[in-house]
Amino acid sequence: MGEKGAHHLPSPEMSVRVTEAQSARHGPPPMRRVLPRGMNGFLFVGPAIVFLLLVSIFPLLRTFQMSLIDVEAGIPLFVGIRHYADLVQDPWFWKSLTNAMVFTVASVILHIFIGMVLALLLNEDWFSTTLRNIMRGLLILPWVFSTASAGLMWTLLYHPFGLLNYLWVGLLGQEMPIEFLAKPGLAMASVVAVNTWKAYPFYMIIILGGLQAIPPELYEAAKVDGASAGRRFWHVTLPQLRPILIAISTIDIITTVGHVDLIRMLTRGGPLRSTETVAYYIYKTALLDGNLGYGAAVSTLMLIMVAILIIIYLRLLSRGSDSGETSF
Amino acid sequence: MKRASDLRFRYGYLIHQIVVVSLTTLSAVVILTPVVWMINAAMRPIKEVLTYPPRLDPSQLTFEYMASLIENELYRGYFLNSTIISLSTLAIVLVLGLLAAYGFSRFKMVGGRYMLLGIMALLMLPTVTLIVPYFRLAHLAGLYDTLFGLIVVNSAFILPICIWLLKGYMDAIPVDLEEAAMIDGCTRLQAMQKILVPLAVPGIVGTGTFVFVFAWNEFLLAVTLTDSPGSQPLTIGLAAFFGQFVRDWNSIMALSTITSIPLMIIFVLFQRWVVQGMTSGAVK
Repeated sequence: MGEKGAHHLPSPEMSVRVTEAQSARHGPPPMRRVLPRGMNGFLFVGPAIVFLLLVSIFPLLRTFQMSLIDVEAGIPLFVGIRHYADLVQDPWFWKSLTNAMVFTVASVILHIFIGMVLALLLNEDWFSTTLRNIMRGLLILPWVFSTASAGLMWTLLYHPFGLLNYLWVGLLGQEMPIEFLAKPGLAMASVVAVNTWKAYPFYMIIILGGLQAIPPELYEAAKVDGASAGRRFWHVTLPQLRPILIAISTIDIITTVGHVDLIRMLTRGGPLRSTETVAYYIYKTALLDGNLGYGAAVSTLMLIMVAILIIIYLRLLSRGSDSGETSF
Repeated sequence: MKRASDLRFRYGYLIHQIVVVSLTTLSAVVILTPVVWMINAAMRPIKEVLTYPPRLDPSQLTFEYMASLIENELYRGYFLNSTIISLSTLAIVLVLGLLAAYGFSRFKMVGGRYMLLGIMALLMLPTVTLIVPYFRLAHLAGLYDTLFGLIVVNSAFILPICIWLLKGYMDAIPVDLEEAAMIDGCTRLQAMQKILVPLAVPGIVGTGTFVFVFAWNEFLLAVTLTDSPGSQPLTIGLAAFFGQFVRDWNSIMALSTITSIPLMIIFVLFQRWVVQGMTSGAVK
């Protein structure tokens, strides 16, 4: 079967064809060989699937199960929905939920905003491609550091005698150093700043990839029509980036909600539990206080919220595929 | 007339270049400050770390702190553990990931679409939601506080995105070449080995770097599943060190710098492919 023939023949494998058709934007689509014996693929996919079933899916189901028991004395004791009932009345749980929302919304907005600005700068015409590549490398650098390292770097910057307070006290002539991580109102903002620093490169690179995939003809056409740079961004760039922006905001929301290590390194949830997010609350109740069942109940609620987000996301993606935007 | 517009074009181009380059440079300077500060503190005599004004003069630098950490058995142990964990995770994930990506890319399977959707969902699963069962299951299975347990769990968390990235790569490689090789008498595995894998090398390197960086930096699973320096990676060592010597900023930053050096080297070497991998296959 030739490559072209695959596109014109109506066949039962239409769903596969759709995937191929949309990638035609970027050149000739790869043809996927449809083998007569449909089971062969399982030989290749099998090991990974079995591994994931054992190490991811099985523990996932155990999370639900463990939320219904108490294992404190070593002997599992079935307690039904008691943990959930406690949870609803637990003010710290609700506080951690609010904190997580503030943390996530602020982080995601900043990641995507900064990622977008820097990606747009890198996507401009540069007089020297080498210089641009060096800059791109430098701007991605924060991504390679561990959260533990990033947390420590920033703890030093935030120190009462650190660089930021030198700028504040030494240069701006203020009397008192700012306690970035010790003031309840400010600690969350400080944590968000570190998270933004650490995670924006990932989104910058993906947005940059999206920008580079936009056909230049679209911009030329817009220019001929007399569209200003702002209007070109609004009417060409943003709609073209839509699937990518949907994808990265979903991924970002879910990753950010799950952060424990950053908060552990910077504030340990304090001061006055003002930076204690749901994820940190799970870590704290389950591992530090040893209350596994309760931790599992919080985990289950978090899983449900994440699942809802993923379903919304996959829905959006499938809707996109009707207009040939994505591979689903 | 032509000259005037030419000049105006050049003038505009110049302004445009200056704005773009200086804005980017400014951002890079701000963004790299924490890193410069870390390395600076790691090499500065102890009295000069937290002073007004901060000092950056290179004449006073010393390698004393890094050297004393490298000589310390405990931190060498952490380093070794991180290396074993990261390389083993890399090996497991690449083998399973390449096979699965090949399967998804080259075969049409019953339920293949749903398996892919499932992998997509697993890719987004937050680690923290599984620490409770992992903690319990690791105790039950006797894998608590072992490197092996940590490697297995690390692999499970990074495998989905790895499959996704590699599949994206393979989809972009025409199947004709393998078919030709198979007509010439290669078995399917040989065709995969001799044709597809060499062509996918940039993707494999990019994905591999991604996996290595993830495993090297992983913290939460390690904190959940390990309890003694014999099986703990550097990230845990770093946190423990910070908890123990809160005021010794030189040594803390020296350890943090040492922890980051392998990543910085890998990143400089493979940056191109990571970027390529993330821009092509990651989100589509």
